[in-house]
Amino acid sequence: MEGLFFNVNAGYVEGIVRGYRNSLLTGQNYSNLTQCETIDDVKLQLGPAYGDFLAALPPNPSTSALAGKMTDKLVAEFRYLTAQSTGSTAKFLEYLTYGYMIDNIALLITGTLHERDTRELLERCHPLGWFETLPVLCVATNIEELYNSVLIETPLAAYFKSSLSHQDLDELNIEIVRNTLFKNYLEDFYNFINTHPDFSGPTQDVMSEILQFEADRRSINITLNSFGTELSKPERRKLYPEFGKLYPEGSLMLSRAEDVEGVALAVSANADYKSFFDAVGLNQGGGLGGMGGGPADGKSLEDLFYQKEMEMSKLVFTRQFTPAVVYAWMKLKEQEIRNVTWISECIAQNQKERIGNFISVF
Amino acid sequence: MSGAVGREPVFPTRQSLGLMKSKLKGAEIGHSLLKRKSEALTKRFREITRRIDEAKQKMGRVMQIAAFSLAEVSYAVGGDIGYQIQESAKQARFRVRAKQENVSGVFLPQFESYTEEGVNDFGLTGLGKGGQQIQRCRETYARAVETLVELASLQTAFLILDEVIKVVNRRVNAIEHVIIPRTENTIKYINSELDELDREEFYRLKKVSGKKQRDVAQADAEILAARQKAAEKEAENDAPATAAPSTEETEAPDVLGEQEDTDVIF
Repeated sequence: MEGLFFNVNAGYVEGIVRGYRNSLLTGQNYSNLTQCETIDDVKLQLGPAYGDFLAALPPNPSTSALAGKMTDKLVAEFRYLTAQSTGSTAKFLEYLTYGYMIDNIALLITGTLHERDTRELLERCHPLGWFETLPVLCVATNIEELYNSVLIETPLAAYFKSSLSHQDLDELNIEIVRNTLFKNYLEDFYNFINTHPDFSGPTQDVMSEILQFEADRRSINITLNSFGTELSKPERRKLYPEFGKLYPEGSLMLSRAEDVEGVALAVSANADYKSFFDAVGLNQGGGLGGMGGGPADGKSLEDLFYQKEMEMSKLVFTRQFTPAVVYAWMKLKEQEIRNVTWISECIAQNQKERIGNFISVF
Repeated sequence: MSGAVGREPVFPTRQSLGLMKSKLKGAEIGHSLLKRKSEALTKRFREITRRIDEAKQKMGRVMQIAAFSLAEVSYAVGGDIGYQIQESAKQARFRVRAKQENVSGVFLPQFESYTEEGVNDFGLTGLGKGGQQIQRCRETYARAVETLVELASLQTAFLILDEVIKVVNRRVNAIEHVIIPRTENTIKYINSELDELDREEFYRLKKVSGKKQRDVAQADAEILAARQKAAEKEAENDAPATAAPSTEETEAPDVLGEQEDTDVIF
């Protein structure tokens, strides 16, 4: 029944996204890309998928310029989707942009804290996290004004209000602020998916799973990355999203973990994560998140998480009547941009031996 | 050569000859000292050149790895973290100390790098994702900067040594090709002038003694002639005894006059 009226409002958007999905690079494309000798060749190979967007690039562009143009395409397509969506789908798409907004606002907070001209920062902001009132935040000259304008002007007000005061912005490390916001955002998104009547059914199924994974991944990453920093355990615990497969027992154990083994123990209840940790190997010590000193197959924990995320995103396309495909498509597209950046980076720096270190799902 | 070098404007006296000789000796000692210094510096210079070559190759490798680790970061984080890092870095973790090293009188600056362990300004960057890559990237870049610092101190030493070696070589060459030949020339000149004077003096003495001899010979001849005349007169007086006293009287003041003349000459 839930699919009966779905297409009335969101059918077009879903159709478009499925079309976009088909333009994602396939394994064949990737193997062509890895054979390239120069960035120009990469550009040529990307021609069918990206067309006009790459046309403006000068010969032998920098990898960042290439990635920028690819992101432009993603943004343009996403904007089109937002323009076409209504009702609960539009709300869902808006939720997708909140993550980028958090990054943008964290950028502006950093700028304001160091008394830089925040207008210059606007162009550094991620276009997906752009909202109409973002430039208004630049008016703020001190952190309290900024805090107030964030509360008034941005859709993120709820995330700020519940856990941060303007003193916190001043005193806490910007990364903690960012992660607190992100935690609030994930929880809110999860709540939204699970309570909104339009999303009962497939959306709730797939999005819950994806968001739970996202939450767990953040918890694990925060734990791993906080070793050896001044982040205390209670503070660390506050950054864990309060849902997910690890919540609550796993999160509690994570908050107590002192080393990589502790983390592995905390996640061992979950078969997926356990297998990741087993694959990476515990004895790598601090080199867990990395690709540099990694084992022979070059897969790191981070890579495995990305891989898992991509597989989940791919599976989303097996479901119909859900805006979750938009989320999945965005994640796939972002991974694609990262992949292409990686490949072109390898080509530009002549480090071909690690060029295969990308994640291709199709 | 010696014509081009010229000589110093001195009076050819024995005193200046002595001065010039001591100057030449000084120049030769200075030359050998400077030559040794230049050799020591050149040795050092070659060593530094070799080390620069090594450091540059190492830098190439390290910078490549570092740039690649940055690529890893951008892959893991999926965005640009440059601004955030710039803003959150407040204190230098990696610092440089300058020292001086003395190589045969030349002060070469040496840079020494060390890390301030307590400083960890952006330790939390990439907390959500990619934090470990960022930390490793930082370590790689710290190593790269270490190589750069090493290279910087070598390059500075290289430049300074180059300059100093040029100066020293210029001095060595100046002493070798200008000062020593010039001093030698001067000595030669003074010697030749002094010889000339000696010769002149000798010639003059010779002339004088020749004249003396001639005069003596003339005087002898005159005396002889006078004696002969006297003897003849005596013989004449023996024959015509009356005429003899008158000639004797006329002859006598003449002889005296002659003798007075020679006296004046002598």
